[in-house]
This record gives sequence, C-alpha cells and structure tokens, in this order.
Amino acid sequence: MPQTWEGIMRHFMLIAAAAMAVVGVTAEPIFAEDVTIKLWARADRSGPLRAGNIVAAADQMNRMFEAAGSDTRVKIDLIETNAAGFDADALDLLKAHSVGDTPDIAVAAHEWIGAFVEGGMLANLEEHISANASMYSDIIPQLWESVKFKGERYGVPQDSEVRMFFMNKDILRAAGKTNAELSALEAAVNAGEFTMFDWCDLAAEAVESGAAKVGWVHRPNVGPDFQMVMASFGIENYNKAEAKLQITRSGLTKFYGWLKYCVDNGSLPADMTTWSWDSTHAAFRGGDSMGKFHGIWNVGAQMESFGLTGADDYFNKIGWINAPAGEKGGKPQNLSHPIVYVVGNTPNKDLAALLVGMASQPVPNTAHAVGTNHTPINYGQTAMPEFIEKGWALVAGTPMLKVAGFMPNHPNIGQYNAVVFTGIQAVETGEMSAEDAADMVIEELEVELGDAVIILD
Amino acid sequence: MNHAFVKPQRTHGISDTVLFLGPAILLLSVFFLAPIVVNIFVAFSDMARTVRFEDFPTTQQFNKLGKLDPEALLGFELRGSFYRALALTGTFVFFTLFIFNVTFALILALTTTAVPERMGAVFRAIWLLPRMSPSIVYALLWLWVIDSTERGLFNQVIMAFGLEPMNLQLDHPMTVIVVANGLIGASLGMIIFTSAIRSIPEHLFHAARADGAGSLSIIRHVILPALRWPISYITIYQSLALLVSFEYIFLIMGPSRSTMTMAMLSYTKTLAPGIGGGLYAYGAAIALILIVIGIVVALVMWRLTNMKNLLQRPRIEVR
Amino acid sequence: MVDVPTQTFRTTETGPDWDRLAATSRRDRRLKISALTVFLVAVSIPIVLPYFWMVMIAFTARTGGADADTLWTACAILVPVTLAYVVGYQALSARYRTLGLIAAILIAGALLWFFLGDDLHLNNFRFMINPNIVEDIRGAATAGGQFPWVWTAFGNSLILAGTQTVIVVTVSTLAAYYLSRFSFRGRSAFLQSLLVLQAFPAITLVIPIFLIVFWVGLLNTLYAPILVLTALELPFFIFIMKGFFDAVPWDIEMSAMTDGASRRQAFWMVVLPQVRIGMIAIGVFSFIKGWEEYIFVTALRTGNSYWVMSTYLYYVREDVMGVDYGMVAAVSLLYVMPSLVLYLFCQKYLTQMTIGGVKG
Repeated sequence: MPQTWEGIMRHFMLIAAAAMAVVGVTAEPIFAEDVTIKLWARADRSGPLRAGNIVAAADQMNRMFEAAGSDTRVKIDLIETNAAGFDADALDLLKAHSVGDTPDIAVAAHEWIGAFVEGGMLANLEEHISANASMYSDIIPQLWESVKFKGERYGVPQDSEVRMFFMNKDILRAAGKTNAELSALEAAVNAGEFTMFDWCDLAAEAVESGAAKVGWVHRPNVGPDFQMVMASFGIENYNKAEAKLQITRSGLTKFYGWLKYCVDNGSLPADMTTWSWDSTHAAFRGGDSMGKFHGIWNVGAQMESFGLTGADDYFNKIGWINAPAGEKGGKPQNLSHPIVYVVGNTPNKDLAALLVGMASQPVPNTAHAVGTNHTPINYGQTAMPEFIEKGWALVAGTPMLKVAGFMPNHPNIGQYNAVVFTGIQAVETGEMSAEDAADMVIEELEVELGDAVIILD
Repeated sequence: MNHAFVKPQRTHGISDTVLFLGPAILLLSVFFLAPIVVNIFVAFSDMARTVRFEDFPTTQQFNKLGKLDPEALLGFELRGSFYRALALTGTFVFFTLFIFNVTFALILALTTTAVPERMGAVFRAIWLLPRMSPSIVYALLWLWVIDSTERGLFNQVIMAFGLEPMNLQLDHPMTVIVVANGLIGASLGMIIFTSAIRSIPEHLFHAARADGAGSLSIIRHVILPALRWPISYITIYQSLALLVSFEYIFLIMGPSRSTMTMAMLSYTKTLAPGIGGGLYAYGAAIALILIVIGIVVALVMWRLTNMKNLLQRPRIEVR
Repeated sequence: MVDVPTQTFRTTETGPDWDRLAATSRRDRRLKISALTVFLVAVSIPIVLPYFWMVMIAFTARTGGADADTLWTACAILVPVTLAYVVGYQALSARYRTLGLIAAILIAGALLWFFLGDDLHLNNFRFMINPNIVEDIRGAATAGGQFPWVWTAFGNSLILAGTQTVIVVTVSTLAAYYLSRFSFRGRSAFLQSLLVLQAFPAITLVIPIFLIVFWVGLLNTLYAPILVLTALELPFFIFIMKGFFDAVPWDIEMSAMTDGASRRQAFWMVVLPQVRIGMIAIGVFSFIKGWEEYIFVTALRTGNSYWVMSTYLYYVREDVMGVDYGMVAAVSLLYVMPSLVLYLFCQKYLTQMTIGGVKG
C-alpha cells in the first residue's frame, strides 16, 4: 500500500489507464459522406434477420452508390436490446424517443404504432409507399390494416404469423387417447363443440395419468396472445365506430374464471406468470407439458428438440388447434400479429424508408419467413421454390387465419394489455377471485385510461 | 519554513470555502436538492412518455391513488391498488425491521462480542458478505436457492428432512423478500452495535460481575443502556431505507403483484427496464408521498436524539 | 465474560476451595462460548452455503442444468476438516496453529481432488475468451453480437466504480475538513440539513434524477451514474470523515501553521495522513457500491448504450440461465471477485467506522 498520496494517485491512474486500454476502441474507415442510420431491434431468436435484412439492404445500397461513383455510404448503427418481449421493447423505444434518441428504423410490434404516432415518433409513409409502388404493390392487402393509424400508413409489415394451442399428441396417446379422437379434435374446435374448459380438462387428464408433468403453458409476460382467448369469451377489445378501446365486464369475469378453473384442476401452473421464457419453452420442447399456447415460429425449435424431420413426422407428434370457443356453440378465435418496420421522424427518414422497402422484397423476406416460420408478406413469395419446399408449416397454418383478427392500433393498447395481465397474475396465483380481479382490472383501466376505454357490462 | 512566506489567512477566506465546500455543495444541489423540487413539480403535472410538462398544475395523479369521498373516514378513500401497496409496504417494513434489522443485528452484535475476538470477527465478516456482494449476484443466489424444482438448495435441504419441495416465490413471497432484505439489513446494525459495545469501558463489566451479575443481567443493565442511542438511530434510519427500497424486491421477485410495495409501484410504472411504462408523473406522485414521509421522519429523528454533540464547535476559530 | 457461580461452595479448613471454583467457572465459560459458537455457525451456514454452491457450480456444472451433488460432497469434506481445525485451534498452542492450518488446507485439497477431480473443469469460464457465448449455445438472435465481450463490461464497471470513488473521497474529505475546522454562518444549519439528507433515502429520487440528467444532456454516458452516485453517497461519507477529522487533535495543525505552513499546506501534509483510515474505509464502500450499481445504470440510459458488469450478468442470466447454469455462475464469480477481495483486505478498516461522533 503506497504511503504517500502521490503514490496512491499514481496507482489509480495506472489502473484507470489499463481499464481504458481494455475497453478499447475500434477504428473503421470513414468515407467522405457517411450517413448513419440507427436501427433499433430486439434480440429475438425467432427473428434475427429482421435487423439482418436491413443491414443487407444497406450493403446493397452501398454497392449502388459505389457503382454510381458517389462517395456517400450508408452506415448502420445497430441498437439491439435484450428486452423480454415486444411490449417491453416498445416501452424502451418510447423512452429513447422521449429523450431525443429516436432511431431511424425500428422493428416493432404493430399495435404500438398508435402510441408511437401520438408520441411524435413516426414518419408518415403514405407518400413514400405511393411513390415506390414497385416495391410495395405485391404486399398482401389485409396486412396494410395492421400498420394504419387513423387511416394512414406508418409502417411496412415485416411478417405475420399464426398463433395456436400446440398439443403433444404422444403425451395424449400415453394418456389413453386414440388416434381417431385426436383427429376429430380439430374439427370439434372449429365447430364450437370443444370449448376452453374442455381443453383444460384434457390437459388435466394428461397430468393425472402421469403422461405429462404440466398440463399446458402460456406466455409468462404481457403480450398479444391473450387477445385471442379473451375474444373466445366474447371480449371485443376495440370499438371501431368510436375508435376507442373496449372491455366487457362479464366477458372478463368469464375469462378469469376460466383461468382459475385451469389452475384449480391442475392443468395450468399457478405460478405461470413468474416463469422465465426459457422454462416455458423448455417445458413443451422437453416433453414435460402437454400443451403450449404460442405461435407458429416455434416449429423450427420444436423439430430440433424432438428430432422430427418433415411435415408428416411433425404433425404425427404435434397437433394445432385454434383458441377454442369459450362456451359450446361459440366460435374459435385466432390472432395474427404482424411485426412491422417503422421509420422514425428523423432527418434520414427518406433514406431509411428506402432501406425498409429493399428489405421487404421477396428474397430477403422469404429468408426470414422460411427460416423462422413466419408467414410471408408478398403474394409472390408463396411461389418461390424455397417457400414451397420448406414452408410446409406456413401452408398448413394458413387455413387457421380465417378466424384471425388483428390487435387494434390504439395508442393505449399497450397499457390496456398490461393492466389485463395484472388480472391474470392475480387470478392464477390465487390472490383474487375472478370477480375481484375483474373489478380491479376495470378500476385500473378507468383510472389509467380514462376516456380512452369503454366499459361494457 | 520561511516566515516571510506566511500569507495572511484572511485572503484565503472565500477561496477556501469554494475549494473545500464548493464541490460538495454543487453536487448535492444538483443531484439531491434539485430532484426533490423537480419531483414536486412533476407530481402535479401529467408527464408521461413524452417528457413534457403537460397540464401543470393538476392533481390527477393523486386521483389515481385515492378519491375524495365525504362519507369515508378521513374524507378520502384509497384506490385498491394503492391501498394494497400501502399495506404491503407496512408489512414489509415492519417485519424486516423488527425481526432482522434491529433484533437480529442486536443478537449478532451481542454474540459476536461474547466469543473470542478473532472468531467474532470471522462471523461478522460472514454476515457482511450479502451487503458486500453485488446486488445482482445476491439476487441470483436467492433465485437459485428458492427455485421451486428439486434443484433449489432450499428444497434439497427440506427434502432431506422428508418434506415436499416448496414453491417459495409463489406461496410465501413476502417471507422471501423480508428475509432477503433482512440478511442485508442486519449487517449494518451489527457493525454499529458492535462498535458501541466495544466502546463501553471495561470497568463497568468488572464492577457488574463483582456485584454478582449473570450474563443476561449484564446485557440488561450494562450493555443495553449504552446501546439506546444506536438502537434508535438504526431503527429510524433503517425504517426509512426499507420504506423506499425496491432493488432487491425487483431483482428477486420481478413485477409480481404479491410484493408490489409503494416503492416498487413507483419504479415499475416508470423506469424499470422493460416494464417501466414511463408514467413519470404517476411515479413521482408516489415518490412525493415517500419523500414527505422521509423528511418528516428524518426531522423527528433530529429532534428525538441528542445531535448536539455532532455540532461541536470547530477546532480552530479563524473568523 | 466470566460467570460467577451461584452454587454454594465447599469450604475446606483453610477457606473456600478457589481452585475448584476457578475450574468450574472456566468450564462454564467454555460451555457458554461453545454454545454461542454453535448458534453462530448455525445461522451463518445459510449465508455461506449459497456462495460456496455458486463456486462449485462454476467449476463443475455442464450445460444442461445445475445439481448440488458436488456441493454436498464438497461440504462433507470441508465441514469435518474445518471443525477439526477449529477444535484443534483451541487446544493447540500458538506454534502449532499455523502448522495445523496448513495441514488442514492440504488434507481438504487432497480429499477434494480425490473425490471431485473428475468433475472439475474450466469450460464455464470460456466467456472470458469467447465473446459469442450465447450464439454458440443457442444460435444467433441478432444481426450483431448479442453481448459484448465480458471485459468491455468489466472495464466500464472499473471506470464507473473507480472514478466515482476518487471523486467522492476527494469531495467528502474536503468538505468534512472544512466543516470540522471552520466556523461560518449557517454551519449548524448546513450540518442539520446534511443529517436530514443522510437519513433521507435517495432511491426515491430516481425519476427526477432521470429528468435532470436528461435536461443536463448527460443521458447515455458513464458520467451520469458517476456523478449521481457520488452525490447520493456524499452526506453519509461527509459525516464519517468529519468524525475522523474531529478526532485529530488540532495542535498538530496549529504547530504546523506556527511553523509557517499555510492552512492548506497544513491540511495536505499534516492532517490528511491522520485520516487515512477513514479515506480508505469510504473509498472501499464507494467502490463496492459503484461496482454493484444496477438501478442508476439502467435508468439513466436508453437502449444498450453501454454495458457494465451488473447489466451483463442480468441479461446473460435471463438468456441462458435454463441452458447453462454453469456459465452464469462463472460470470457471477468473476463479478463478485473484486468486491470480495477488496472487502476482505480492508475489512478491519470498515469495522472501525462509527456513526461519526457518537461520543463527540
């Protein structure tokens, strides 16, 4: 230990210098005119090419500049966050925007467009899309609905998907179900004969017979999935006429009552909302859980964990159903949740929008869609050989989209979902009864959203 | 030293103040005092995700916490979520303080001074370990210990005794956070009490023993009176700290409803990574309530305890 | 503390049997100390065990899960050895104690190697060399690397903790000296407010501090948490340093000043060395606090503008916890080491701190 102050200062300076050397700085060649485009994306194993396609588009654009003899180069500044879900990422994105760090391009969940526009974050893309019809006119028209806010388009769809209840048929067979029963299941769901409660009974049977450790699992955090099961119980969360969010008290009570039923009969773990994503995926992919409520992009990882090859193998082991009806005679529901590219209201927005257009072309989009099992955005993609060969899952999922809806692009939908989720937490952990949870959620919605939500009985 | 180079003290007056006290005053004003003022303003506005002062002044944030109701007891009725947060905060502070931060700290101080010095030092060093390790690591260890599968250390131990594995996070969340925060809190009290015990003059002990006092009697009549001031200091200081602590609760339990104290509510509505909705005014309103309680209790502490000896006159009167 | 026995004693012809009394009270004393030791060991084991478990996982776990079998084996070896050493410590004279310690360490090491040698491996520490820790196990999730190299985070943490320590030690020492030695108008008000601030829990101010840092323009820089942490620790540290300065007799300064030194020279050369212990103590406290900081480094940034060890561990854990407990444990171990080392070396300074002038 140095005895003098000079000694101590010198020591510290050495340590600080060493630390800085460790941190290091990399130098990159700088061209005469560098345009930096900030790209914000979430680190998501089911979509690394969302950001990757923009980076590839930037490379392509740089080749165009070089060929044209220009000194301009596009440099992509990648901001990849580790948020646990798209809702979490949207909140971080809004925080960044609120302090002036608006990215030029962002990968986001479409329902947050309302909140983004109200916060002044997004560039209106109507003009750009009309001016560049050659890049955009093959996009499936219904998908444009997901990027509209007050009638104008603020983003470009990047992909879409189908969500479903996965069933591990091997577990059900071990629990005593015959193949005939399993094949009839899907039809029963679509006819409204097999209800949500029947699903939990089925899962409970699997647990009781010892074939499964857990009946079924759902996402452990806030997210779009719950809209489709709420719709099964009659909750229509958007009132188009008045452009306001909406909730039905009786529907909410039935929904929470159903969740409680599932926890009580042993099919749904009571602490589901405290699980990590890791353990949720592992439960189904490890063969511990009979069912999983999630989306089609899981297919790749499921095939890997179960060692399946090809469509026949897969559908022999795993079955898909829509969200069953809430009560007999009702209709099954589904949800399609497009992820979109949005362009920030920044000085570079024109260049950024063009990069987005380039990344939305069939070849890059198919690379993403087929690789991670998302549905394509352009009609032309369905004719590509790669898609026909490897996209069997997507083809199989397309019929389920008949009963699919989108989430509303209302500015407060994120808050709405977060509040509803607290009710799910309360009911599953046994903290509150279904009625109390519904009361609490409705009170919170009134308090936080005020006029933006209509409360129906 | 050459006397000719002695400068008259007076000319250094202002620059002394600036040099010595200046940086402290600057930092404290900007990051301590200014925030308190800013918080008051923000709490009465509707600042949310866009960091703009909207609707100032307005009490709509407080409307989210309670509504005026002439028929209610105090003229207002607390809203469900805030009432729950209040109740959870009270439970959390009460149990952590009285079981761990004060009582167990006292027990540790007494026992580690009763055994030989080196052994006592070893045990005190062990008990300081939770406080000295980074909060994430401590939280991580807790998560591994209370893991609800058979892999959790706690479950392994109780299974060795023939019991079923327990899911502590689900069934006993308040116990988890009370113990987790308590283990950390006990260490501060332990140090303070230990040094206070050590500063009791030896002859008091000898006199007591010569009078025939047993160990318990010595504790009651010699040690505890000397600890009166440290005990009250720790009680007040730690209760304030617990009132607003949320770091460990957040890291161990996440935004779980069962442990949503007031401080957690404020944090999860605003700046919690990935969950914070950026409802800054709402969080500031809750923080304002906590600030008011904090200042009031701190002033009460000033009054109740004899602080005069901390203000002893300076050694060298220059002016 | 010695118990005075309350039972009646037998008298011999010459008076009370002092030897017997002394023996009884020595025995009682040993019993009492043993009972207290057992109690302390019992309550301390739950604290030490998880840390030890983390060390074992870091060195033995393979991808796929954590188990505690190696832990129990290691405990079964270490506990008897430690007990034997502790018992022997009491019984042996000073000369043999060091020998006993060395023997205990060697025996424990040999037994551990024999029983657990096969399980030990350093694979979990590969993150120190390979930045693509997550991509290798789980596949790519991003267009760039998902996590930086651990040494980037380590370096940033060092800068954060180190700079903050230097600043806070400097500022609080200067302020405490002034408060201890000078009289000025408003001094007692200043001290009173410092006391209130010291008791005031600073974490309530996260939201307004975020706003102020944003308005000042320091968001997303390391300067922000450095300055914020410094400011929030100041009241407590000023009081501690003031206590140390108050304990330095002023005649030392006075004699230096009559020898011709200016006030500042007297401060620098004569008084400061006297409070070295205090400066070391608060330096260690503040370094440890800066090293572990999580709340302010996440609140005062948007996106992933910089990584420090706390956020690195947090996100690595979230991502690979289910798949690779061992690596998460290894990262934790790396993270904990500096705090632990600092703490162990400076432990005696820390326990010397009082709450600043209890006795004046």
